[in-house]
Amino acid sequence: MKTIPPRCPEPEGGRQYWRSLDQLAETAEFQEWVAREFPAGASECSDPVTRRKFMKLMSASFIFAGLGLSGCRRPEETIYPFSRLPENYTHGQAVYYATARPIRNQVIPLLVKSHEGRPTKVEGNPQHPDGQGATDAHTQASLLNLYDPDRAQRFTQRGNEVSRPVALDLLAKLGKDQAAGGRGLSLLLDQDGSPSRERLLEALRKKFPEARLYEYEPVDFNIRRTSATTAFGQPVEPVYRFEQARVIVSLDADFLGTEAGSWKSIRGFAKGRSADQPQAGMSRLYMVEALLSLTGANADHRLRLPASLIAALATRLAAVVMGGVESADARSFAASLNARINKADLEKIGVAAGQDAPGWIERWVDGCAQDLLANRGRSLVCAGYRQPAAVHALAHWLNALLGNVGQTVDYRQAKAGHDGTIAELAQALQRGEVDTLVIVGGNPAYNAPADLEWEKSQRRAKTVIRLGYYEDETFASCDWHFPAAHYLESWGDGRSPDGSLVAMQPLIEPLFGGMTALEFLARLGGFEKTSAYEIVRETFQALSPGGNFEEAWKKYLHDGYRPGSLNQAAAPVVPDWKAGEGILTALQPVAPPSSQKLEVVFHLDYSVDDGRYNNNGWLQEMPDPITKITWDNAVLISRKTAAELKVKNHEEVEVTVGSRRVRGPVWIQPGLADYTLGLALGYGRRRTGRVGNQTGFDCYPLRSSAALHCATGAAVKATGGRGELVCTQDHWSMEGRPIIREATLKQYAEQPDFVKRLNLEVPPGGQPLYPNPLDKAREKALHQWGMVIDLNSCVGCNACVLACQSENNVPIVGKEQVGKGREMHWLRIDRYYTADPLLAQDRKTTRPEREQAAEHWIDNAQVIQQPMMCQHCESAPCESVCPVNATVHDEEGLNVMAYNRCVGTRYCSNNCPFKVRRFNFFDYNKRPFQNHQLYLGPLAKKPQDELELVKLAKNPDVSVRMRGVMEKCTYCVQRIEQAKIAQKIQAGASGNVEVADGAIRTACEQACPAQAIVFGNVADPNSRVARLKKNQRSYSVLEFLNTKPRTTYLARIRNPNPALPDYYEVPLSTREFEAGNGTHEPGGHAGSEPAQDHSHPKGSH
Amino acid sequence: MSDIFPKWTNQLPLKIAVGLALTGTLAVGGVWYYFTPKYTRVGYQPIQPVPFSHAAHAEQMGIDCRYCHSAVDRAWYSNVPSSSTCMNCHSQVLATDPRLELVRQSAKTGQPIPWVQIHKVPDFVYFNHAVHVNRGVSCFSCHGRIDQAVEVRHEKPLSMTFCLDCHRNPAPNLRPPEQVFNLGWTNDAALQNAAGQKFVHDWKILSLQSCSTCHR
Repeated sequence: MKTIPPRCPEPEGGRQYWRSLDQLAETAEFQEWVAREFPAGASECSDPVTRRKFMKLMSASFIFAGLGLSGCRRPEETIYPFSRLPENYTHGQAVYYATARPIRNQVIPLLVKSHEGRPTKVEGNPQHPDGQGATDAHTQASLLNLYDPDRAQRFTQRGNEVSRPVALDLLAKLGKDQAAGGRGLSLLLDQDGSPSRERLLEALRKKFPEARLYEYEPVDFNIRRTSATTAFGQPVEPVYRFEQARVIVSLDADFLGTEAGSWKSIRGFAKGRSADQPQAGMSRLYMVEALLSLTGANADHRLRLPASLIAALATRLAAVVMGGVESADARSFAASLNARINKADLEKIGVAAGQDAPGWIERWVDGCAQDLLANRGRSLVCAGYRQPAAVHALAHWLNALLGNVGQTVDYRQAKAGHDGTIAELAQALQRGEVDTLVIVGGNPAYNAPADLEWEKSQRRAKTVIRLGYYEDETFASCDWHFPAAHYLESWGDGRSPDGSLVAMQPLIEPLFGGMTALEFLARLGGFEKTSAYEIVRETFQALSPGGNFEEAWKKYLHDGYRPGSLNQAAAPVVPDWKAGEGILTALQPVAPPSSQKLEVVFHLDYSVDDGRYNNNGWLQEMPDPITKITWDNAVLISRKTAAELKVKNHEEVEVTVGSRRVRGPVWIQPGLADYTLGLALGYGRRRTGRVGNQTGFDCYPLRSSAALHCATGAAVKATGGRGELVCTQDHWSMEGRPIIREATLKQYAEQPDFVKRLNLEVPPGGQPLYPNPLDKAREKALHQWGMVIDLNSCVGCNACVLACQSENNVPIVGKEQVGKGREMHWLRIDRYYTADPLLAQDRKTTRPEREQAAEHWIDNAQVIQQPMMCQHCESAPCESVCPVNATVHDEEGLNVMAYNRCVGTRYCSNNCPFKVRRFNFFDYNKRPFQNHQLYLGPLAKKPQDELELVKLAKNPDVSVRMRGVMEKCTYCVQRIEQAKIAQKIQAGASGNVEVADGAIRTACEQACPAQAIVFGNVADPNSRVARLKKNQRSYSVLEFLNTKPRTTYLARIRNPNPALPDYYEVPLSTREFEAGNGTHEPGGHAGSEPAQDHSHPKGSH
Repeated sequence: MSDIFPKWTNQLPLKIAVGLALTGTLAVGGVWYYFTPKYTRVGYQPIQPVPFSHAAHAEQMGIDCRYCHSAVDRAWYSNVPSSSTCMNCHSQVLATDPRLELVRQSAKTGQPIPWVQIHKVPDFVYFNHAVHVNRGVSCFSCHGRIDQAVEVRHEKPLSMTFCLDCHRNPAPNLRPPEQVFNLGWTNDAALQNAAGQKFVHDWKILSLQSCSTCHR
């Protein structure tokens, strides 16, 4: 009885308000998914241990347990107090330290919580001006990497363990032996913005003038700097201020997702989109992209266009804008740009974008350009890392010509990079010029461009020494391997996106004796000071002149950064028109891709980045914010392309670029440009830990130095195989009610009560079906907790999901279990697609999938994201069905779970309209989840090393739940109770026990870079949450059920431009709701009045 | 007739009798075990590695509880003092006493003293010392006259009922804040009732009985 995970059903055809193509199709399988409490297989005991065998096993174990009577007496436990108490240490009191997470050449300033000396939760540093407490999903999950049992834990020589002194001797000897100025010594470094490392490298260069330094990152955001340097003729790099911009044009820049510093961009972007301050204005985002990214999902106008054609579109955009500014140079350059792109070329772009109406694309681009011109000094153009330097240069010039510099974008002086590239290193290796290769970080054997044949090249060096975090692909071809320390174990420093100096201090001794890169380099150079602490102090001393050093140092560590330490001043920039010739040459017209010559776009994965988080279980299980696929990557493909290539979801295909090929399963994705394949980097690792093992497929073999981000001329062929993808998007569906509400800015101004117009009719009587027995107790309580989530700010970045997982000890369950709908996330983000009902012909009848796939409207869907967790209904349906009173209300309005009472009937989950309850089908914390070991019966245990390490990451303030227990969002009850206790301790013998507003921040609220989540006391009319609940955009999900949720939402506002051909007067979801409500549910639920004329978008086809 | 009572019914009375006997024994055994104070560990008094006497320190010499249990009014956990705290006095007093050998060794070598844990609530209970002692609940309420104990003993059941009895009616256990660490303080019953009610009102002490008060 092998258990086969149920597949997400295949689409057929049908309706317009849908969460997935399958729901759109209303297939029988989908209907079943929706109708069932848990997906098929989730609640059946269908494992190889039959019920009979299980009874035998269990009765036997009860007998043994009874004989031993081991469980009857409490075991004797020992208290080991310190023999000498560390200063300022209080057992049981969490301590916070300011530190930072390095990522490429930036750091994210953090405040990390430590319980009894072990870091347990990562939070943003609220004092730092850049993020003000913002973090991202990777930062939240980076904690788990610290406790990864598969980390490199030993010093090795050719795979055999050596002692630390032996390894350190080698390093010291290496430095001494470089008498000839370091000839034959090469260093390959990953990116790091640490001033200390920079200083050490400078010293190394001086000491070994013949040694060569190279830098490599598989995805390099330095193109922003290099292109700005070309465009302005001086070494500068842009720092964006999205909060200032009123019009943003993004050319393939996923600044809310995968681009560098997204956590900061999200905060800025969300601030700039406030719909409630009309005087400040709300920003408008235009997005041009090939794949559907988070930024695209949040755009007001989105154009899907093959990546190689974005340059041509940018040419036209730049030509129109430059033609409209005063500068004569710009006008003449505009003329030469115009010569690059004629009307026919433009029409071709329109066709490639799926818009074949004549003049459509011209109106789109020109409308966009006019909007930019109308908002000079308040607009922003940015280009993504995948785009060529010429597109970046155009964006930089546009910003300069539009007067945006100093307003929405700053150009800061930057140091020009002077290290070699990995291609140069590969050549040097091939020529035999490298005796000793030292690799610091990175994983080139996995992610170097395929044409370099890196592993072979690496072996050409006589000795290869590496400092690495994992014993990975690169480890295999190293002679010596040193374990690297995690950032929470390291002294260090770095620069945040705004350029201020940020401190990195350790919270724990290296668990496995790992070394920091600073110590490694200092020992290699044979420098006097080798401790990272001293190196960092020295750097700080050099960078902070004058004053009392010790005091400044203490303040630096306490605050986590040095205010006013921007060493890169903003520079005045003017376009360097001399570069124009080069740019024009680069902007050659290219042929659009076709079904024979497809285009492959490689993108950073939202979960595993470039592969560095491949072994992180939290990130692997985090559903991709757009595809909602977990544990895998896929060949993303548009519906039209899939139909032409005759491939379906889960079918394995072979993608060929030139002579290189990879195989992976297909996933059909709305919103993709046609004839474009999206391949996520970072999966299919050949050598990784037990979590990342056998996840996804590796697409690095398709990447060559010439086409790092976008390869053309690809072919796809079905192999006949299957690769099961596990996707959470159909789980816990809400069946197309007006769950998410939105309006356009214009509509909001005309009808501020638009939210109420979308209300469904409340059943007669008006009384809640499930009364709350504690309604009376509420009057005595001081606090009534509630939450507001602003959908207008939320971009769907998943930071909250992982913050919740980290704070609340939520386990991961593995791919197979997710496939059965057993994922445990307390907080999920629902992603809905909507499309215009009027564009679909004949939407009641079910048509074959292939036929429907040819309709283009399906691909121009609007995307909405909604964080969904326990709504803490005042009249909670879950409570009245619990036979053991395990889920009850407390007097402050929390719907609480008493885990020890729960017997696992799952009635509560069945009765929950929001499908937010999670059941522990197995003891996920103790069981190994990989390779189907879950089913080894009650004896299957996690390996001891894994168990002990994973324990360290747990939050001691939250119970770890076991098998058979229901769980769900608690509003972070531990934080509430801690705040209340702290207030009571402070109050002492007085009645001042009311918790101040803002003293409690739930984990999701704290992590949210968009500040979309606000939690507080709704009984206090002056609290932030109470004020937000009075906002006109406030509504509760499924209000007609009368469950009175404490979590309410603020409707989303879109800001489309009437001049554009894809303008919409009301958001498509509203249109769909109005259309659907009339036809789907005749006679009922007609509470909403028709809000708007159903005007057809102008000229859509 | 053999159809009415098949053969296996011959043993049925015996089976029933054995079953009843077993059930009865289990019931008696269960009550015997679970219904006694021993189950809640009242009276548990293990031998500690160092014969520390609360009576000598707190009662005779009048050392405040918080000299050793320094975090009790700040953290959920009331800490057992470090060996260096003992040595503050015992480097002078009884500096060579053989009973204190372990303490001296511990302070010297850094090896902790393995005290045997006596008071313990289950892992899913989040009891907080600080909030109780800061809000007028004395050590006495849960630990009895621990200041007079020569050896520490599990004095009160510390079961859920024990907690709830006080949470339902906090007034009898509330003291003026300055008497919280004075375990010998007593009040006249009638006076205490009135004073307790006043504290409940003035300090806004709520009768917290929700699950979330203790379980998270």
